[in-house]
Amino acid sequence: MDSLKVQSVETVDPGYNAAKNTANVEIKSDITKFQRLKRDKWLYLLLIPGLAYFIIFKYLPMWGIVIAFQDYSPFLGIFGSKWVGFENFIDFFKNPDFFRLLENTFILACLDLVFFFPAPIILALLLNELRLQAYKSVVQTFIYVPHFMSWVIIASITYIFFTTSGGVVNEIVSLIYGKEINFLSAPEWFRPLIMGQIIWKESGWGTVIFLAALASVDKEQYEAAIVDGAGRMRRLWHVTLPAVRSTIVVLLILRLGNFLDTGFQQIFLMSNSLNRSVADVFDTYVYFVGITQGAYSYSTAVGLFKGIVGVVLVLGANKLAKKMGQDGIF
Amino acid sequence: MKKRIKKRLFGKKVAIPAISAALLFSLAACSDSETSRSKSKDEKDSKNEIRIMTTAYTPDPPSDDSPVLKELEKFTNTNITMNWVLDSAYQDKLNITLASGDLPDVMMIPSKIPSFVSAVRDGAFWELGPYLKDYPNLSKANEITLQNSAIDGKTYGIYRARPLGRLGVTFRSDWLNNVGLETPKTIDDFYNVLKAFTHNDPDGNGKDDTYGMVVSKYNGPWDIMQIWFGAPNKWGEKNGKLEPDFMSDEYMNALKFFKKLYDEKLINEDFAVMDPQKWGDPLLNGQAGVIVDVLDRGRRADEDLKKADPSLKEPIDILGAVEGPKGLRSLPTAGYSGLLAIPKSSVKTEKELKQVLTFLDKVNEEESQKLAYNGIEGRHYEVKDGKLVLLTNNDQALINEFTDLNQFHMGIPEDRFIKPEMTPVREKEQVILKENEKIVVPNPAESFLSEVYAQKGQQLDNIINDARTKFIVGQIDEAGFKDAIKLWRSTGGDDYIKEINDLYKKTKK
Repeated sequence: MDSLKVQSVETVDPGYNAAKNTANVEIKSDITKFQRLKRDKWLYLLLIPGLAYFIIFKYLPMWGIVIAFQDYSPFLGIFGSKWVGFENFIDFFKNPDFFRLLENTFILACLDLVFFFPAPIILALLLNELRLQAYKSVVQTFIYVPHFMSWVIIASITYIFFTTSGGVVNEIVSLIYGKEINFLSAPEWFRPLIMGQIIWKESGWGTVIFLAALASVDKEQYEAAIVDGAGRMRRLWHVTLPAVRSTIVVLLILRLGNFLDTGFQQIFLMSNSLNRSVADVFDTYVYFVGITQGAYSYSTAVGLFKGIVGVVLVLGANKLAKKMGQDGIF
Repeated sequence: MKKRIKKRLFGKKVAIPAISAALLFSLAACSDSETSRSKSKDEKDSKNEIRIMTTAYTPDPPSDDSPVLKELEKFTNTNITMNWVLDSAYQDKLNITLASGDLPDVMMIPSKIPSFVSAVRDGAFWELGPYLKDYPNLSKANEITLQNSAIDGKTYGIYRARPLGRLGVTFRSDWLNNVGLETPKTIDDFYNVLKAFTHNDPDGNGKDDTYGMVVSKYNGPWDIMQIWFGAPNKWGEKNGKLEPDFMSDEYMNALKFFKKLYDEKLINEDFAVMDPQKWGDPLLNGQAGVIVDVLDRGRRADEDLKKADPSLKEPIDILGAVEGPKGLRSLPTAGYSGLLAIPKSSVKTEKELKQVLTFLDKVNEEESQKLAYNGIEGRHYEVKDGKLVLLTNNDQALINEFTDLNQFHMGIPEDRFIKPEMTPVREKEQVILKENEKIVVPNPAESFLSEVYAQKGQQLDNIINDARTKFIVGQIDEAGFKDAIKLWRSTGGDDYIKEINDLYKKTKK
């Protein structure tokens, strides 16, 4: 029974355990693959429903991707529609919209990494420094709330606050500067607004995972650091941050998988004819072309392109992380 | 049997999960609504079944057990299943439904959108042209409107008739009195009214809290107003060739006028970001005095304002158009608002098609129109001395029993429901509808279908509409607008122009 436990852990993360426990390596060499299969048959059996779920609901629908290589019409079906090879992709790359979309998406994605990604970490570190437990829980609960609001509500709140006809923010701005600023329609304000919204909405919720990681930091390390004469900042830098570093890296890699996902709803709700030059991103483009114009094949091609970029980024980042001595995600 | 084969193949221990996986598969197959629906169709042979998908403007449209819908079912001898979709989400839902292939028996198509056109060309819808003559009402459909709504010259949907001259101006006539002006006749008068509404305290409260005209994100008002300046309706003829409206000088003149309105703050500054659903609010709140839209807005605003403040005498007046350099001109509607199309995948045989058409024909009868527009006599309304008396007393639940039921009514050959007693605004509306018809500017390319537009129409329209808004708020100047036209042309506009002109030449021969 004991060996079985060790074994099952090992299948999850062989590298990690092998390095830690040399005894494992001996056990592994003792039995063949087939023997392990036979011994753990019930575990494998348990695996089947999960596998079935993924095959049926995640992998089978993926065949839909083939319409990216067709001139697809729902009434002719996948088998009746004409094959066009890479025509949809070529059309897309040649489209004058392509570089604008790429630029807008890329800038938003980078801003997201630079401003939004660190926000929950900083917030979690700040929360972690709070001494009074009751106060900390209250603050934590309050900063979760925006996460549960839909983008529609947040867009309306933004509109009410920032509109030029009687918006609170603009009232204040005009008191100070003497004139109002068109936050909602000026292209240069689009990105700050988007960043502000997402940080306001999601950074509180994002702290959950980091706080969990922080909770597992060994108390003795802090005590040792105090004995060595480390101040608050030193402790933060040399104890707390290294402890959550692997969490940060894993989340960063996962985030890169959605690098080009700018979030459809938020962008869509905040875009208008005056800021469209900076607001058009792949997600809104796929919607416009695919849903409102019914160009299913073309928009599938665009979506597929986005997905491939995501896969490449995840694999690349994972490799890089491993090279730099981090765990990575697989 | 199945179990035994599985046993032999994988051994007993794998059998249970394998079967459970098979069960999952069959479950997924069962949820397919097609199979369950066709069964119920066979069972009910005596009464026809019809599923209708159309728009709803109230969030609470009539449910399947609405007494009005029940009456309509009795009258048409049909079981009706409504699939209501809120108007704001209709086009998305329509495209998704088209893509899913699981279509209702009658579906409302708001305009000749690309996905519908391509579906028609793939043979997904019945061509109705040859059948219409067999039905007493449908056979009286207007030829020109049929032509306008046709695809490749053939009828694939029955239009929902709307007055051609339905667009105009709604304004506060009490404000006009307060500032001592007459009903505007020319564009200059119109401008002066807006100016007075902004600066001369038209509501007499001593505060500078009003402005001239409210505009929203929706482009309609600009389209309506630029016609006054002599701009063509979408396509204008120049040297025997068709050219898009925005390439004309008149269009630029109109744009400059709009910019002036914006710069002088005679219209709301946030129009480019304003949700069209909130568009009417400033008028009803007494913040703005003018709105350019369909004329029925005037009548509705009139009734709403009076309801909110009974001391108001005649707060609203309407007019069709103001005179510009080319005289009186008005933007027409296409004469219809949406088509009722019949998919081949749900209505499989000619016999079924005829049943559906019989139903649609019957919907045009007086009895059915009264149900949809007036409700049930004795429950929602009464007729006293030939006059319509409402019994709904603003009871929303009662009103919701029939509102939106007119969303699958065609009004062919004419409206036959009971019209409410004429308020002055309603009377005027009828007059202006007729007057507008004389001054409407037709779109010479209305019935043409362009391949390029089917593919890129949305992007093309966006380029120009965005540029128009940017010009009005001063983000770009005239040169910038010319750049937008250049972009439009290189994005596919040139092909579009060529295609339309080829079609135009063909019709001219």
